[in-house]
Amino acid sequence: MIYGIRKVMKYALGRDIAGRTLAVRADDTFIVSYPRSGNTWTRFLVANLLHPQEAATFDNIERWVPDTEAQSSRYMRSIPSPRTIKSHSYFDPRYPRVIYIMRDPRDVALSYYDFSRKYRHIEDSYPLERYVRDFVTGHSGAADWGTWGENVASWAFARGARPGFLLLRYEDMKARPEQELARIADFYGIRITPQLLQTTLERSSADRMREMERTQGKDWVSTKDKRSDIPFIRTASSGGWKSKLRAESVAEIEAAWGNVMQQFGYELVAGKTNNAIDADKNEARVKRDQTQLTGATFLGENRG
Amino acid sequence: MEKLIRVVRRGLGLHHPGRNLEVFPDDVFILSFPKSGNTWTRFLIANLVYPETPADFSNINRLTPDPEALSKREMAKMPRPRIIKSHQYFDPRYKRVIYVVRDPRDVALSQFYFHRKRGLIDDQYAPEKFVTRFVAGETSPYGSWGENVAGWLATRQNRLGFLLLRYEDMLADANLELEKVAAFLQIPPDKARIANAVQRSSADEMRNLEKLQAHLWSSTQSTRQDVPFVRTAKAGGWKTGLPEAAVAQLEAAWGPLMSYLGYELHSDAAKSIAASSDSRLLEAVFSGHGMSR
Repeated sequence: MIYGIRKVMKYALGRDIAGRTLAVRADDTFIVSYPRSGNTWTRFLVANLLHPQEAATFDNIERWVPDTEAQSSRYMRSIPSPRTIKSHSYFDPRYPRVIYIMRDPRDVALSYYDFSRKYRHIEDSYPLERYVRDFVTGHSGAADWGTWGENVASWAFARGARPGFLLLRYEDMKARPEQELARIADFYGIRITPQLLQTTLERSSADRMREMERTQGKDWVSTKDKRSDIPFIRTASSGGWKSKLRAESVAEIEAAWGNVMQQFGYELVAGKTNNAIDADKNEARVKRDQTQLTGATFLGENRG
Repeated sequence: MEKLIRVVRRGLGLHHPGRNLEVFPDDVFILSFPKSGNTWTRFLIANLVYPETPADFSNINRLTPDPEALSKREMAKMPRPRIIKSHQYFDPRYKRVIYVVRDPRDVALSQFYFHRKRGLIDDQYAPEKFVTRFVAGETSPYGSWGENVAGWLATRQNRLGFLLLRYEDMLADANLELEKVAAFLQIPPDKARIANAVQRSSADEMRNLEKLQAHLWSSTQSTRQDVPFVRTAKAGGWKTGLPEAAVAQLEAAWGPLMSYLGYELHSDAAKSIAASSDSRLLEAVFSGHGMSR
């Protein structure tokens, strides 16, 4: 009851976290991704692109590209239009313009594991294999963003190739930053000069962001009061899963979302590293776990 | 002042929870875009699951509760497991979902009449104009038809806890489709029980009930009584009811998805687009992989 009153008071005063109840404006642009998929890097790129007069930092990023899942309704209202807003939400039809960043879920799982330890959601002793299982079944995060597959597929297939939707892959951004940044500029209708392009990339580099995390991390809403011995800005690279994830973890991720992964150019390897029998076993186990976790004890019939 | 009333109602749990519904792990959802056979499916399922209480418009909101019509408090007090009616776009918290899909050309036409019934448009309002807004997702708060359908199918089709029904298949053989529902809900597929539920939920039966009870039900109260809620209960009305240009608009927007669902395209332009990579893409993703079986 006390909790209820507190919630109602917060709502009345506009101090509730905006989140999915955010009042969306017709000229809002959203930077959306599953967590640990390059969202913060993209926020910096966009902030530096749109506001070249002042380099983006962890002190001003909540002003340039506020986080609707960390800021209050009142704060979000105070941001002048046109806003660019950060979100991890699964599909929301109210978002008029969306930059969606997708990353290889095998790297996302690995990054999310470190992040969950940083946030003290799990102990250091929590086995990575178990964490990947949680990740695949949608029990890894504190908030409900859907599973990786649900988040990605709900956006990619509801909006797909429609105007007002820009799909980026983290791996492409790493491999060809100039080209992908030009696509972002184009999405905003900005004619980007080579100089602005270089400044934006330099000001958003992993090295510079790491340095800023060291000096400003204790004050930023996403890193304050979190473990400082695990960095928020991690390796900023692709393919770490190849050496860090066990074959069975890789197989579980691919069994869950292989179809979506392939669709977006992530090559599957489980068939190569595990023999077919092992893969089937993994698949059956994941299926069984999911059945238990969702409380569903039936197998739905489906159209082909 | 309005805000104060909202705050107080919220504090007392008297507001409609809608999308902010508190979800329990054993909840089952009857989901669809509006005007896709949701009410018929509610009647079928209510009559199947609770054969001792024939469903009608005065009890359907209790048998299959609607978070847009009941208060947060009422929703929380419903006996479990709840079978909840909803039109919501994708929500990962919904783990057991019966999704009803219908040809969007018929959906658009049906919603056009429903908006007349609700007085949202007058009788002079042109169907083309309505369809333009329909395609843009501006005629309901649940995303566009394509966003709603694709959002659910891309995330859940061929996975555990998801049953896809086509309204047109239900019209062709309601008993067969209700057998699938029975299996999904782990209810013994008793032929007589299923036949009884189908018979009690027939369009004629529902039309009779609407005549007697329209004033008792949240969705028909304070709407025009000269336009029925239970309309033709048929498939293909768009062929005569929608202008060519409106059909072309709908098919241009969602051709590949319609083809995937087995809705034959009418306009040549849409046919050629659907034959391209787009619909193969849907096939590849929706046909499932790994956990899908």
